[in-house]
Amino acid sequence: MSLTTFDGFGASVRRFSPRLLLSELMMKQWFEPVIPFFVMIGLWIGFSFAINDYASSINALSMLRLFAEFGFVALAMAFSLITGGIDLSVGAIFAFCNFAALYFVLVAELPVPLVILATLATGAVLGGINGFLIGVLKARPFLTTLVTLIILRATVNLLNTYYAQTFAINSTDSDAWDYIGSGAPLGIPLNAATLLVVLFVGHIFLSRSRYGWHLTAIGASRKAARHAGIRVRTMLFFTYVLSGVLCAAGGLFYAARQASTDSTTGVGWEFQALTAVVLGGVSLAGGKGTVWRAMIGALIVFTLTNGLVRMGIPGYVTSALIGMLLLAAVGIDVKWSKNRGKAIQKTYVNPARVALAAAPSVAAKSASPFAQNDRLLHADAIGLDQVEGPEDVILDRQDRVYGSTRDGNIIRFSGPDLKTREVFAHIGGRPLGMQFDRDENLIVAVAGMGVYGITPAGKSYKITDETNRTWYKLNDDSRLRMADDLDIAPDGKIYFSDCTTRYEMTTNTLDILEARPNGRLVCYDPATKTTRTVINHFYFPNGICVSHDGRSVLIASTSLCKVFRHWIEGPNKGRTEVLIDKLPGNPDNINRASDGTYWLALVGIRTPTFDLSMRNPGFRLRMVKQVPADEWLAPGLNHGCVLKFNEAGEPLESFWDPTGISHSTLTSMREHKGYLYLGGLENNRIGRVRLDGVDETWTGFDAYWGSKRRDRS
Amino acid sequence: MGFLTHLGRDVRNLLFRDSEQNAIPSMDGALGPNDRLDRCEPIGEPLPGADDAVAHGDRLYVSAGRQVLRLSGEGFRERALVHAFEGEAGGLALHPDGRLIVCVAGRGLAALDPDRPDPQYLAPGPAGSVGGLTAVTCLTDGTIWCTEGAQGKTANDWLRDLLDKGASGRLLRCSAALDRVDVAAQGLAWPNGIAPARDGTLLVSESWRHGVRRIGLDGARQPDFIRNLPAYPARIRPAKDGYHLALFGVRTHLIEFLLKEDEFRQEMLTTVAPEHWIGPALASGHDCLEPMQIGSIKALGIQKPWAPPRSYGLYTHVDDGGEVVESLHSRAGGRYHGVTAACDTPQGVVIVAKGAGRLLLYRPEAQP
Repeated sequence: MSLTTFDGFGASVRRFSPRLLLSELMMKQWFEPVIPFFVMIGLWIGFSFAINDYASSINALSMLRLFAEFGFVALAMAFSLITGGIDLSVGAIFAFCNFAALYFVLVAELPVPLVILATLATGAVLGGINGFLIGVLKARPFLTTLVTLIILRATVNLLNTYYAQTFAINSTDSDAWDYIGSGAPLGIPLNAATLLVVLFVGHIFLSRSRYGWHLTAIGASRKAARHAGIRVRTMLFFTYVLSGVLCAAGGLFYAARQASTDSTTGVGWEFQALTAVVLGGVSLAGGKGTVWRAMIGALIVFTLTNGLVRMGIPGYVTSALIGMLLLAAVGIDVKWSKNRGKAIQKTYVNPARVALAAAPSVAAKSASPFAQNDRLLHADAIGLDQVEGPEDVILDRQDRVYGSTRDGNIIRFSGPDLKTREVFAHIGGRPLGMQFDRDENLIVAVAGMGVYGITPAGKSYKITDETNRTWYKLNDDSRLRMADDLDIAPDGKIYFSDCTTRYEMTTNTLDILEARPNGRLVCYDPATKTTRTVINHFYFPNGICVSHDGRSVLIASTSLCKVFRHWIEGPNKGRTEVLIDKLPGNPDNINRASDGTYWLALVGIRTPTFDLSMRNPGFRLRMVKQVPADEWLAPGLNHGCVLKFNEAGEPLESFWDPTGISHSTLTSMREHKGYLYLGGLENNRIGRVRLDGVDETWTGFDAYWGSKRRDRS
Repeated sequence: MGFLTHLGRDVRNLLFRDSEQNAIPSMDGALGPNDRLDRCEPIGEPLPGADDAVAHGDRLYVSAGRQVLRLSGEGFRERALVHAFEGEAGGLALHPDGRLIVCVAGRGLAALDPDRPDPQYLAPGPAGSVGGLTAVTCLTDGTIWCTEGAQGKTANDWLRDLLDKGASGRLLRCSAALDRVDVAAQGLAWPNGIAPARDGTLLVSESWRHGVRRIGLDGARQPDFIRNLPAYPARIRPAKDGYHLALFGVRTHLIEFLLKEDEFRQEMLTTVAPEHWIGPALASGHDCLEPMQIGSIKALGIQKPWAPPRSYGLYTHVDDGGEVVESLHSRAGGRYHGVTAACDTPQGVVIVAKGAGRLLLYRPEAQP
C-alpha cells in the first residue's frame, strides 16, 4: 500500500492558495518570530552596505564577543517575562556581579574556579532577594525589581568609588582569567560559546522539561497554574535566582574582558533587554516566548546600537530609536496577541472553484432514475423521538437495530416491534459510520475521536486515532479529525474516510463551502495494528463500501457529487477511478444491497444556485465573511433520497421523501431481510420501508462474513 | 467585475457599515415574532393566487388569478364570480361612485360596476403602457391613483426587479372617467401599495426601499412615513385607526449580500430558472431545488421557526405616525406565507396570504 495523491478530480482545480498558506502559517507557533528574524537579517545586510568590512568573519566574531554579555542579560529578562513578571534589576545585578568578579580576582585573589563560583553565587543571592520578595511575599515584580535596581545601582557606585584605586593598581596574571576574557575555543569567543550552550540548555529546559512548562503555565495564568497544583511560589523564586545567575554570568565575562568597573556599566541595559525580548516576540503578558525569540530580539537591538555608533550617529539618537522600537514592539505585541485568533479565523476558509457537471434531472414523473417519488414518505418510524440524529444504522444477526447518535451513543432497538430502546454503548464524540467485523464487534467511525470498536457485550475500545503525518503539510494531520464512514475488507482491514483535516464535526459545512481536497481515505490493518493514509487529498470522502467482490472500495465524495472506486486487490490495485460521474446531490453513505448492487444516500440535493456558487469561490469567500453562519447558502438538505446503483456505476432507481416530511438529511440506509432501514444526520427516528422482490433472507452480516458472500463464489 | 470594483465595494462596506443594506433591523418590540398569523381562521377553501381584497359594506371583493370574486355571508363563506379578466387581476379599490377599480396585468386599469360587470379600461395616455400596475386607490374627489411596480415589467416580475435593483416604478394619476392619465412621480423602487393618508398626502409602500414613502398630491416627495423595515412591504390600506400594512417577504442577510454581488447575481439571472433564484418567495418548501440556507435545516423533524426564511407571513398594523403597533407572523415552517394585502371588514381584518393561497380572518378579540 503506498501513499498516493489522487489527481483524477479534474484540471479546473487550483490547489495552491497563498491565502491558505498564510492562514496555516499564522497558526504555527514558530511563525511569530519570523518577522523579527528577517528584520535581524535585514539589519545585518543593511549595515554591511553602510559600513566597511562589516560582512567579514572577523567582524562577526568580534561583534559576537561584544554581544554575548548582553545576550545573558536579555535571556535573564526573557525568563522573568515568561513567568508573567519582569526583572528590571538585570542591569544592576550585571554591574554588581562585574564588580564582585573583579573584587574576587583582584582584591580577594581567589583562584579562578572559585571566582566563577563566587560570582555566580553573588548573582544567585541577589536574584534570590528578588525571588523571595516576588515569589514568597508576593510583591509586585515591577516595583520590587525597580527598588532592587535602585539599591544595587547605588551600592555599586558606592563600592566603585571605594575600590576604584585598588582595581587600578592591582592586576592578575592568571592565564585562566585571561582565557575567560579573550579565549576562543574553535575560533568562537568563549563568552559567545557559553551563551550558545546556555541557550541550548535553556531551550530544552523551557520547552521540554516539566519545570519549563510550569514556568510558562504560571506566566499564562498564575491562578490556573496554582489550581493545577504547580508550586507557584517556589517556581517564581527560582526563576529570579536563575535570572540573577544569568546576569552574573554576563558580569563575569564582562569583568574578565574589560577588567574595569565604573558608574556606567550596565546602565540602561534593563530597558535595552526589555526592548530586545519583546521585539523578539516574548509576550509582555507572560506565558509566551522562547529563548530563541529573546536572542533574535537581542541581536536586533545590539546590531542596531552597534551599527549606529559605528556610523557615527550620536548616542542619544540611538537611545531615542531604541525607545521608539520598544514602543512599536509593545504595541504590536498587544495587538497581535489579541487579534491573532481573529486573523486566523478571517483567513482560514479558502474556497476553491469547483465546476460540477450539469445535475441530472430529478423532476417527478420523468424517465430519469432520479425522478422524485414518495416511496419513503410513509416509512415506519422506529424509535420516534427516542434517537437524536442516527447518522448510520445497522442490524446485527439477532435483527436488532443500532443507530449512531449525536449524543455520542450507540442506541439499540430490539424486541418484536423494535420498541425496546437501550443505550448499547456510550463512546462520546460523534459516532457516524458503523460496520460489524467478523467477530461481531461493532466498529464505529467517531468524528473527533477516531475508529472505535464495541464488543457484543457493549464494551468499547479504541482501534485507532491517528495515521501517518503528511510531511509537507503545515497543519499536523496525524490525528483523525473526522472519521466519517468505514467498511471492512475480507482480510479484516478497516477502510475509513477522514472527511476533513481542516475542520471539525461542528464546522464541516465549511469544508463543503471550501471545496478543497482536505479529506483522505485511511486504512487500519489489524494484522500489524498500523494505520496508513491510502489516498491523501480527497474531496470530502464520506461513504465507504467494500465492493461485493472484496477487490475495491467505493468512496463517495460529498463535495464533488461523485462516487469513486479504489482498487485494493487485483491488477489495478492502488488505482482510483470515477465510478459515478454525475449525481443530482451530495452523496453520503454507501452500503451493499442484496442483489449485488449498492445503496447510496444523498444527504443534499444540488440546487442550481449552490452549483453556481461552487463555480464562484469569491462569492463563497465573501459570503462566509459577511453573512452570519446560519444564513450561508447550502445544498438542499431538507429532503430524503436513497439511490440504488450497480457495479458499473449506473443508477437504477431512487426512493424519495422529496420535502423531507419524515426523512430529511437522510445519510444512511441498510438493507436487512427484505426491509430498508433509514438513518438521518438530524432526524428524530430510524425509518423502515418494505422492499419488493428482494432476497428476504439476506443480511448485511451474512454478506460480509456469512453465507451471502459474493467474493468467494 | 474587476479588481477595482471589488475594492470599491469592500471600502463601501467598511465606510458605511450601518447602511440599510448592511443593517437589517431585528424584529423586536411590536414586530416581535409570534405565531398569531398561523392561528388566524382561514376563510373557506384555498383560493390560489389570491392577491388583494377590498371591503364594501359586508361584502368583500377579492382578486385571485384572473378572477375577481365577491365573498359574503358569515365568515365570508359564500363566493360568487364578479368577472374574469384576460390578464391576472391584482390591486383593487372601490371608487366613491361604487365602481370597482382593478389592476389587470398586461392591460392596465379596469373599472366595472360589480353588479353589471362590463369593464371599462383606462385610455392610453402620455404615460405609455401601464401593464404592470400593483396597487390602486381612489380619493374622495374621484381621482384614481395607482402604482406601477416597474416600467415594462408585470406585477409577477417583482423578483427580477429586486435582483435588477430596479427603481423605475411610477405613481400614476387617473381621472375618474379613466380617460386621462399622467405620471405623478417616478423612480420608485417597486411601489407596491398605495393609500390616502389622513393629512391629505398619499402613502406609497416601496418594497425595495423597505419603507413607505409619503408623496403629496402634486407628486412632491415628503418625509418618509416608514423607513428601514426588516421586510418588504406590499399593500397599505387605511384601518379604523392607522393603517394595515402587508409585508410579503422578509429581508435576509443572504439576499442583501446577493444584492452586492453583481457578477454572481447576473449569472444567476441568466442561467438559473426564476423559481430557483435566491431571493424572497411568497411560498417555499415544496421544491428541493430551491436555494437553502444552512440554518433552515430540519432538526429532529422540525424546521426551526427562527431559521432564515425564504418565505414568511407578516401582517402589521401601523399607527398614524408610522410606528408598528401590532404584528402577526407566520414564521419559517409556518402555514400562511406571502401576505400581500389586508383590509377592514365588519367581521374583522381580512388578511390575504398569497403564498398560501388563503384568505384569513383576523378577529383581534378572538386572539388574546
